[in-house]
Amino acid sequence: MKHRLMTHMVAYYPDGASSVKVAAAMIDGGSTYLEIQFPFSDPTSDGPAIQTACTQALENGFKVRLGFELVSSIRAISDIPIFIMCYGNTLLYSGVEAFIDRCAQQGVQGLIVPDLPFDYDEGLFRLSEKHGMSAVPVVAPTIGPQRLESILRTEPRFLYAALRKGITGKITEIGDDNIGFLRRISTAAGKKEIRILAGFGISHREQIDLLATHVHASIVGSAFVRTIIENGGKGVYAAVKHKMEELI
Amino acid sequence: MVWTQIHEPHRNEEKQVKGIYNDYFGDFGGRYVAEILRTPLDELERAWRESMDSDAYRSELQDLLVSYAGRPTPLLFAQNATRSCGGAQIFIKLEGLANTGAHKINNALGQALLAKRMGKGRIIAETGAGQHGVATAAACAKLGLKCRVYMGEIDIRRQRPNVFWMELFGAEVVPVVSGSKTLKDAINEALRDWAGSSTSTHYLIGSALGPSPYPDMVREFQSVIGREVEEEMRRLGLEVEALIACVGGGSNAIGFFAPFLGREKPRLVGVEAGGRGSGTGEHAARMGGFGTPGIVHGYKSLFLLDDDGQVGKTHSISAGLDYPGIGPQLASLGREGRIEFTRASDDESLAAVRFFASHEGLIFALESAHAGAAALEMAPEMPENRAIIVHMSGRGDKDLFILAKQLAGKGWRDFLLQEGREDEA
Repeated sequence: MKHRLMTHMVAYYPDGASSVKVAAAMIDGGSTYLEIQFPFSDPTSDGPAIQTACTQALENGFKVRLGFELVSSIRAISDIPIFIMCYGNTLLYSGVEAFIDRCAQQGVQGLIVPDLPFDYDEGLFRLSEKHGMSAVPVVAPTIGPQRLESILRTEPRFLYAALRKGITGKITEIGDDNIGFLRRISTAAGKKEIRILAGFGISHREQIDLLATHVHASIVGSAFVRTIIENGGKGVYAAVKHKMEELI
Repeated sequence: MVWTQIHEPHRNEEKQVKGIYNDYFGDFGGRYVAEILRTPLDELERAWRESMDSDAYRSELQDLLVSYAGRPTPLLFAQNATRSCGGAQIFIKLEGLANTGAHKINNALGQALLAKRMGKGRIIAETGAGQHGVATAAACAKLGLKCRVYMGEIDIRRQRPNVFWMELFGAEVVPVVSGSKTLKDAINEALRDWAGSSTSTHYLIGSALGPSPYPDMVREFQSVIGREVEEEMRRLGLEVEALIACVGGGSNAIGFFAPFLGREKPRLVGVEAGGRGSGTGEHAARMGGFGTPGIVHGYKSLFLLDDDGQVGKTHSISAGLDYPGIGPQLASLGREGRIEFTRASDDESLAAVRFFASHEGLIFALESAHAGAAALEMAPEMPENRAIIVHMSGRGDKDLFILAKQLAGKGWRDFLLQEGREDEA
């Protein structure tokens, strides 16, 4: 059986034209959801791989406007559900509702904004729903039961479970700790239909195999950036497609 | 000298400062962090509140502030400066005389002691000019805590002497090479460290910014400065027209101003880095129309952003003032008009260093010299029976290399070259 994956890419990395190829390789490789990160100058939740990608994307001339153009080019080749990941400042600068409205117009399915948690969200969750999109709350293993309960009570369609402490990229060992955490979420969710997406440090098929029965989809991000770096930014389609085959 | 009561929380007694626990200041503040940092911040807030109510904690901190940091710091009547300027009497709060050379020690001791109470044996900190790093490293040496300081590669070059002191105190100084390689990137790196290490580690933020409760907590630890000033004003019967402080993130300013925030007088003046011009990337002034509301480093405030919402470039001769954001309470009080903001350029600040050195025998830190420069401009416009108080938040020993290069010229360069040659030989 093939696994469901949410594959993450940084818009305008390794450059504007190639990022469409990265998306195409992920889609052709069988990705279920595409997560497109709009780069920010100060990505505090991200490890070195994604930081490097964001810095390079900004040097390549990424602008929010161009990010939406990229979404539109991807939409032209596929109807894969697209999630935009960005930091709160990007929404605030555009105007939170204006940004969400723009996403909705481009057929974006959801938004992942790690530094806008549900209780400091600048209207993200309410406005996303108003525009027919899903804002995806991120939870971490350190979360207490009451706070988890508060998040689940909002009945999000998707939930992003960060599988360990720290930042993106560093490899995560899948074991009792994080499986226990995923079980805790499922138990707390009860009968609510919440799709759990799990990520942080997922780069190998074995990890995805172990997660498969506990999650709706596994998220892979930094691993693709490393794949692109290893290929020196050349032949990105073939490299990313090959990585997809390894994972799925 | 009157001993001021340290750490008597001022609760709900003044109109604009609603109390010591605010979270938001008008539109600004908040706790905009990834979920992984939420639990440690909630824990920190609980621990801090408990500490503020604990006599044992407060008395231990009081002892350290007196016997280790050297509080209270003096308020000096700058007679020669006053005579030279004409106009208002210039007083200087000599916070640079505190151990480790700046106000930063007040907050470093407060938080390090709090971390110890919380059972956290490791401290991480960011530093720009290095003064907060030095204060944190010293506090950790004194209290027996492990210490790692993140510092931008460019700041390391600008403030090399402070790196040496931090390492001598036993801290590990980690150069940050991402982004602009300055303070903002050091904060990013510290936040990333904390996301993975919070169980055993306390993040000791050095300015009155970041996610709540930091802006409230840092202000409270620094408000000892303002309380001492208030006490001296009363003792000397001063008619104070204005208090003047430099503003980077703003911890020295908010601490200096704290007791006066809820009153109409005196005027409170924040001086930002005017750098070398008013163009993009030439200065670090967030107020006066330059800053845009944003969310960076876990809080909402005014930031210098580019035309696509990315954090913008800044410049200042002083490494402690080139941060692109401003503490949320200062931004809010600036909007309300309680705090006035002005700017001093690199050159004006250098001139102020020279002026106070030759007139008063004081070496202002380049940061604090921005406040000094504003005072020299304001004093002549005011009557002689009024006073202004300048906050010398730090002393300038750390700036030796920058100052000597700017002010001593070729002789200093020759000396460095000769030292280098002798070292090699």
